[in-house]
Amino acid sequence: MVDPEMEPSTITKGIYTYVHDVSQGPPESIDVHHIIVSRSRAGGIIFCAYAILFALICLLILLLLQRCKAKPFGMLIISNIFNWWNMMNDCQLLIQDKSVAVVLWGFTLAGFLLRQSRRKLVMKESVIILPAFGVQLETFYMRHFFGLVQVSGRTVRHFVPIDKILKPVLNECVTPVTCYWSLSLIIREQEQLLLVFKELYPPISMLVPIWKALCASINEEYAD
Amino acid sequence: MSQQKKHRILMVSDFFYPNFGGVENHIYYLSQCLIKLGHKVVVMTHAYKNRSGVRYMTCGLKVYYVPWKPFLMQNTLPTFYGTLPIVRTILIREKITLVHGHQAFSTLCHEALMHARTMGYKVVFTDHSLYGFADVGSIHMNKVLQFTLADVTQAICVSHTSKENTVLRSGLPPEKVFVIPNAVDTAMFKPAPERLSSHEIVIVVISRLVYRKGADLLVEVIPEVCSLHPNVRFIIGGDGPKRVRLEEMREKHSLQDRVDMLGAVPHAKVQSVLITGHIFLNSSLTEAFCIAILEAASCGLLTVSTRVGGVPEVLPDEMVVLAEPDPNDMVLAITKAIDLLPQIDPLVMHKRMKKLYSWHDVAKRTEIVYDRALRCSNQNLLERLPRYLTCGAWAGKLFCLVMIIDFLFWRFLQLWKPDREIEVVPDIHLMTKNEDTWDSSADESLN
Repeated sequence: MVDPEMEPSTITKGIYTYVHDVSQGPPESIDVHHIIVSRSRAGGIIFCAYAILFALICLLILLLLQRCKAKPFGMLIISNIFNWWNMMNDCQLLIQDKSVAVVLWGFTLAGFLLRQSRRKLVMKESVIILPAFGVQLETFYMRHFFGLVQVSGRTVRHFVPIDKILKPVLNECVTPVTCYWSLSLIIREQEQLLLVFKELYPPISMLVPIWKALCASINEEYAD
Repeated sequence: MSQQKKHRILMVSDFFYPNFGGVENHIYYLSQCLIKLGHKVVVMTHAYKNRSGVRYMTCGLKVYYVPWKPFLMQNTLPTFYGTLPIVRTILIREKITLVHGHQAFSTLCHEALMHARTMGYKVVFTDHSLYGFADVGSIHMNKVLQFTLADVTQAICVSHTSKENTVLRSGLPPEKVFVIPNAVDTAMFKPAPERLSSHEIVIVVISRLVYRKGADLLVEVIPEVCSLHPNVRFIIGGDGPKRVRLEEMREKHSLQDRVDMLGAVPHAKVQSVLITGHIFLNSSLTEAFCIAILEAASCGLLTVSTRVGGVPEVLPDEMVVLAEPDPNDMVLAITKAIDLLPQIDPLVMHKRMKKLYSWHDVAKRTEIVYDRALRCSNQNLLERLPRYLTCGAWAGKLFCLVMIIDFLFWRFLQLWKPDREIEVVPDIHLMTKNEDTWDSSADESLN
């Protein structure tokens, strides 16, 4: 018999926290699995720092290229090692040539602002298993101002009746740069798999208990 | 006696199933036999049309179809560093101990071997083809091969001729190169249950109809043989740009009833075509090994082949008649083969092939190469860089720069996504017939 006041179990790994909440309520227990994302505000600042570093490196390369026109490459390196004053003068000259500096900094800043404004920040994704009824998939978004100010935003919910689910599966997904695990539902009379977590990529250790719970609820349904 | 250590091997090539060919078959059969020896094998190749992601083949052979689309002759676009993230992820999540690349013409293979060496893995390379030295394409390919093989742990070639060719092209020390010939699946390529009648001689040709496979020679040879031997018939399987020439020849000499053109023959149907013939004709202009004549010999056919590349090393003298890649010489060889036919027993030939060639033998020999590779010492970047300098005055420095940037990129990836964040995949053990319950080791490793 399930204790109605059972403590939820949690797993934390990286930015993801898994919370398993079994609550007792009429008519039967509802099995809830949350994947919560904890984002640090330092993320935006770190990205800013990398962007500035990138802009500085571009500046130095441009400086070297400009001096390359006058001197052969080998001589350029030697003269620059012993001639920091000349390099400082060149920096000033470059900055004075505003069009080049403005283009460089403009692109970097625009890229940063575009990235921050278009990011969809997901706060949490949940799987609510309603025995003999169905599975509800929920995604909670955050509203943000360039990743700095964050407030609770919209929620997207998707209900799947239990008789539509053929099987939950753990899939390995391959992209051009990485591989990751995903939990999907095979839906009857549909070719496409339904992703349980559409925005997040939680680790396999968090997906397995959810997969087992889904399998158990579907097997119970068809065992009756 | 200590148990032999089992390896976890990543096979990398642009050439794999669902395509069929010598390299593809080699990788598949070798992987299957290595799995039977207890090793873990994973294959990495590029995506084919909508075949993308992870697939499992017979005996649990795991294949990563990485969604890098091929851009030229089945090869992925060479990006130098673009494949580093996915190669690193696969190596870590599958706990790979050794990387085995196949085919000099595969860009994915070269990049994967480069990244694997950067990350400190031992690498083995198998060369399946012969290349020239003089034309522009060969010069560039040989330079790329020099770069890859400058730091390879061990190399494998499919024939002694191929070894000589690879050593000359790449500058690799010969003591690093092993010769392990290909094999044939004799269970699949069996002779016809009943011996064919000898009043009509059937000569079978199955190959891609391209210049390299000597299709132009066939155009000269077939009419000559048909005029000399009225009881000879040809069956030609395969497709390619030279098919038109063969059909024109057939029309010109009115050989429609004596030359059958089957078109492309699926690999599964090759045996059924071979057993309809007495003689197998191979007119290739260059071959490192030639698995096709092995398949023909396994089906009990007497082979007539051009004496090129590694072909003379493949079959015993009594099973093959060799000729120079010249139409007159080939006609003489076919005449000689027709005279030898009464002495040929297809079943005896098949049994002999069974003893001579076996993929299990290839796997055991490859295992020895892997053991040798893993015994080599580990070297850091500074110790490995001087090997690239020997590749050329300017090329050497460029290769060093490429490896330094690769190393820096790898370190950046380690900071961005540390190794501990890449989850290791559990080993899934397949159920055998004797097991009634699911193997619980997968569940345990997932937990």
